[in-house]
Amino acid sequence: MLAPALAAAAILVLLPVIDTLWLSLHDVILYRPRVRPFIGLGNYTRALADPVFWESLTNSLVWVICAVSLQFTLGFATALLLNRNFAWRGIARALVVVPWALPSVIIGLIWTWMLDFNLGVLNNIGVLLGILPHSVPWLAQSSTAMAGVILAVVWQGFPFFAVTLLAGLQAIPGELYEAASIDGAGAWGKFRHITLPGLAGVIATALLLRMIWVANSLDLILVMTGGGPGTATQTLPLHAFLTAWSGGNYGQGSALAVLLTLLLLGVVVSYVWRNRAE
Amino acid sequence: MTRLKRLLGTELPVVLILAFALLPWIWMMLSSVRPDAELTHSPIALWPHQLTLIHHIELLQRTSFAQNLRDSLIVACGAVTLGLTLALPAAYAFSRFRFRGRNWLRTQFLVINMFPVVMLILPLFVLMRDFGLLDTYFALIAGHATFTLPFAIWLLTSYVDGIPQELDQAAMIDGATRVQAMLLVVLPLAMPGVVAVGIYLFITSWNEYLFALMMTGRNVRTVTVALQLFIGENQIQWGLLMAGGTLVALPATILFLFAQRRLVGGLTGGAVKG
Amino acid sequence: MKRRTLLTGAAATLAATPLARPHAQKPVTIRWWYHFDDPKATPDELVAAFEKENPGIRIEPENIPWGGGGDYDNRLYTSIIANNAPDAAMVKFNNLARLMEMDALAPLDKWIDAWPGKRDITDDLWRLHTAPDGKRYYMPLQYVVLYLYVRLDLLAKQNLKVPTNFDEFLTAAKALTGGEQWGFGMRGGSGGHDSWMPFAFGTGAKPVKGGFVSPAALAQNRFFIDLHRVHKVTPPSAPTDAFLQIVNNLKAGRVAMTVHHISTANTMVETFGDAITAVPVPRGPNGSGFATFGDGSTCVFSASRNPEAAWKWISWLSTGPNNVLYNKAAGQMTVTTSGAANWTLHPKRFVDATVQSLPIAGVLPNLPQTADFTRVVWPQNTQKALLGQIQPDDMMQAFEKLFFG
Repeated sequence: MLAPALAAAAILVLLPVIDTLWLSLHDVILYRPRVRPFIGLGNYTRALADPVFWESLTNSLVWVICAVSLQFTLGFATALLLNRNFAWRGIARALVVVPWALPSVIIGLIWTWMLDFNLGVLNNIGVLLGILPHSVPWLAQSSTAMAGVILAVVWQGFPFFAVTLLAGLQAIPGELYEAASIDGAGAWGKFRHITLPGLAGVIATALLLRMIWVANSLDLILVMTGGGPGTATQTLPLHAFLTAWSGGNYGQGSALAVLLTLLLLGVVVSYVWRNRAE
Repeated sequence: MTRLKRLLGTELPVVLILAFALLPWIWMMLSSVRPDAELTHSPIALWPHQLTLIHHIELLQRTSFAQNLRDSLIVACGAVTLGLTLALPAAYAFSRFRFRGRNWLRTQFLVINMFPVVMLILPLFVLMRDFGLLDTYFALIAGHATFTLPFAIWLLTSYVDGIPQELDQAAMIDGATRVQAMLLVVLPLAMPGVVAVGIYLFITSWNEYLFALMMTGRNVRTVTVALQLFIGENQIQWGLLMAGGTLVALPATILFLFAQRRLVGGLTGGAVKG
Repeated sequence: MKRRTLLTGAAATLAATPLARPHAQKPVTIRWWYHFDDPKATPDELVAAFEKENPGIRIEPENIPWGGGGDYDNRLYTSIIANNAPDAAMVKFNNLARLMEMDALAPLDKWIDAWPGKRDITDDLWRLHTAPDGKRYYMPLQYVVLYLYVRLDLLAKQNLKVPTNFDEFLTAAKALTGGEQWGFGMRGGSGGHDSWMPFAFGTGAKPVKGGFVSPAALAQNRFFIDLHRVHKVTPPSAPTDAFLQIVNNLKAGRVAMTVHHISTANTMVETFGDAITAVPVPRGPNGSGFATFGDGSTCVFSASRNPEAAWKWISWLSTGPNNVLYNKAAGQMTVTTSGAANWTLHPKRFVDATVQSLPIAGVLPNLPQTADFTRVVWPQNTQKALLGQIQPDDMMQAFEKLFFG
């Protein structure tokens, strides 16, 4: 039963990964395709010695932690609410996926525009309501640029949690709640003792998957700030991408990608360990 | 009292969340029906003074957007079909069988997916060229399905895990084969999960850009690539972009409107007892 | 086996006879990559006209998303490395050195020298289209030279004349700043190097080895950064403002001057009519100046199996009326002298500003690092300098180091 999935993954993902792994040990310059000397771990030592790597790593941590936790909190709340009974539930469920159903380039543009210093509707509303004394160039200041891109990615990603957790909620048998009610459990008690344990597997998986996805995604940042201003929003995958394609240093870009994978691997291994312990 | 409680406790928060989810999209929709001049006026007016459908008409008549929508739909549906066909048996196997290296193998599926896709494009392009698949639907479908496969398997496994093993065992005692047990007993019960994963597969494929940019061209062109064509070097076709952005969210939303009924269901009391 | 050889031999003989060629030869297909800013414009009309004139050649055009230059380039490099490159494509100077290093380009000199349209393209353009090794790999197709947009009505209110040198520019920018209006729409975001170069190299420095750190360049770069840091004649969002923002700001009347080129002239005239004009960028005290040349060129790839046919197509596109037609679709300026003489696509004052700037037009060094400079190194360092995270001189040192070690 596993064979078809394994075969597909092996050909289309594993082979290219191994290829990239191999390239990361060579001095591969994109525009010198014929000369590729083997340099061992040279790309890795050079990557680690570059201060931009550490800046990108810090940015990546902020990006992943803030984005995933906010997406999760909002998505979970949405799932719980949409699991309740009310007349227009079906439509609400459908409409909530709209942000998720838009391509990143559109999301990036629309949020850039809404956060725009001059034409941004958010600045406009903020000033009208008296929350902001004057327009703020959100994406042009190092102090607020990261918050701006995180806002956009939270908007894009929370429906994922809403949908997956909603499906998970359905798998919890209704009798458990009825029985708990008879035993006199309150809403919080039911949530704590029935909902959370029943959902634990799906929550853990969804968190893990989303974390990997957010850690690797760069399209929104690329559209909104390109990593700027300066390097304020440059994350690790963006650093790898720019090094490989724009800088032409494909070997070093590959090494950065491998480093990023190793970091994520650490998280996954701890997750699998936790699972095994159960 | 309960009516008021439901209104304040459920419907009001839902309205707020929907406002957050929809307002940017509505803002885009409003921009797509405004003449360009209004869009550069600062401070920007919240409500359009003048409505126009020129951008939508141009989009559908003078660009190949309708055809791009069709291509995207074919690719996304293909990716859902292929992805579920591959992921369902795999998830079932991971959930039901205890074999050596199970955890290791499952982790491997994630590990290969942790690799940033941007760095895989070059080797993949060479691979697709060798198979002669460049610029075909299949290249994109296979590509999208494979990239989402690990996620799909993991998610599905955690849903299938929630279905008691006794059910398929009971079915097999009654004479069903493994495959029958999977398709006739587990699949219906796991339907909410399958739908959730199907939506995940659809949307991921629908939104994918890099792969579509690299692997296709003249014959197949998805909406994400087509939208990117509106952002030129010295000009941004803002009206077309906004019109396209409005339209591109619709198919997935409509699809989900129908699919969401399937999210309800799952285990019933009778099934657990039986 | 033998029969086939015979047949092929016969076919070859037939093909060699000029009269028989159209019948015996299968039409060759030329894959051509392009990008138009307006997705509603298509090259279909051009392709049909060309195929009618050249029945043996079929053109397969493919519109590649520009994606800030990055998408187009990535797609191009990927396909070259994978031996899947098109026969001909639209290219830009910032890739010339890399493509040369890959041996990906076919030299065009022998064809250009025999080409009747050669003299319809000015020497200035041919000078700019000559590679560092003295050969020509790029064919001029469209061009822009960056100039300065000026709101005449706002200047008149302050009793100022159009600035021609940097001192006048600063005076005007200061006078035009106040409230929700700024004197200069600075572009610190993507693509901003184009509008920065006239400042950095305007008083005589050149973008060559040592040129980025010459006293003149350093001083001029400080002048540029101070427009934002000290004089605050630019919007607070300047560090990340890109094309869309500077154009919107100018159109909305929030900035009075900005550096851009003729491709936006028509929308400006729609908004302001006669109140807007363009002039060459400000110059230094000794009259020296630097106008960034923005090219759109075509090339033939060395891997093409039909380089002659590919050349026929790209040279056809650069010929008088065809080039005019092409540039109408692309929204740019024709490279031919004959076409420019009767140019009606843009109002004359913008064409004049463009043509007057051509003698001082220059480009970045043609080095493999240039693509990285425009996409990453320039925005990163300039934004840091504009935000006060590094000194203006550090930014120039970083550029010199990138290009010349």
